[in-house]
Amino acid sequence: MNKERYIASEQEEQQEETKKENVAEMIQQLGQTNVPQMTPDSNIHCLTIVGQIEGHIQLPPQNKTTKYEHVIPQIVAIEQNSNIEGLLVLLNTVGGDVEAGLAIAEMLASLSKPTVSVVLGGGHSIGVPIAVSCDYSFIVETATMTIHPIRLTGLVIGVPQTFEYLDKMQERVVRFVTKHSNISEEKFKELMFSKGNLTRDIGTNVVGLDAVKYGLIDEVGGVSQAMKKLRELIEVNKREEGKMLQ
Amino acid sequence: MILYTLMPQELIFQTTSAEYAKQQLVYYDGIPLLVRETEAKEYEIVRNLSTNPQHFLQSKYSPGMRILPTTITS
Repeated sequence: MNKERYIASEQEEQQEETKKENVAEMIQQLGQTNVPQMTPDSNIHCLTIVGQIEGHIQLPPQNKTTKYEHVIPQIVAIEQNSNIEGLLVLLNTVGGDVEAGLAIAEMLASLSKPTVSVVLGGGHSIGVPIAVSCDYSFIVETATMTIHPIRLTGLVIGVPQTFEYLDKMQERVVRFVTKHSNISEEKFKELMFSKGNLTRDIGTNVVGLDAVKYGLIDEVGGVSQAMKKLRELIEVNKREEGKMLQ
Repeated sequence: MILYTLMPQELIFQTTSAEYAKQQLVYYDGIPLLVRETEAKEYEIVRNLSTNPQHFLQSKYSPGMRILPTTITS
């Protein structure tokens, strides 16, 4: 055991040495030390939506955020790169900016490649449209999704909003969710405005199995089920492309 | 002091712009990384923002690793 480890460390040292030589070579040949060493492209990429979804206002660095200016170009790159065949979206978010969240959700919904989402821990608030935007959605048994009306913090476009404006904004979220999942508008609104579930607030905290029961999410499952489904969808996608070529 | 308000905390207690400057996004070997500058003028990786799962298997791109600002490509 120790001997093996010793050999491994010795090999590492040797590699280290060749690396140094490589650096010297690179300076001689290219005038710079590091040349991007691209790792082989994986055919399935993974997008993590964690923490708060940050919108027009930058949050202080101690907040864990998902910034739409990072995520949107990544989705464009995934659409463009022919080596990438599918996208897995992992969600553990408390929600955040409505417009930024909807932007990410629309980008995912309009992606031509198969997408599968998994809700882990929580997919609250504006995380709900993102979870349902994918071709197929999973939720782990312990994860929860909070469905609640749009909050009135007056931060939407910098001027005081009218009730109608907020109502319209909410309508956008409701329409997106009902269009991309099996939940009916009545049921979604019922969950959104139900009383007594959240402390001093209206809305519902939907747990794993219930989210599937209401038709919001397609299936209860974790990473293995999600990967299996994604590979299935990639196969279907490939077959359809083959048909189109013929 | 207790504040009873709907306003988000960051709007009331605004952070200084120096706080924001501590973290930045850099590309290292073509991988987007969120980094923090250390006292030794090195960059410490805070978060790997890549979507390629392979990039997470290499320890040199994992959070906590230091990279030299001179090796940043873009």
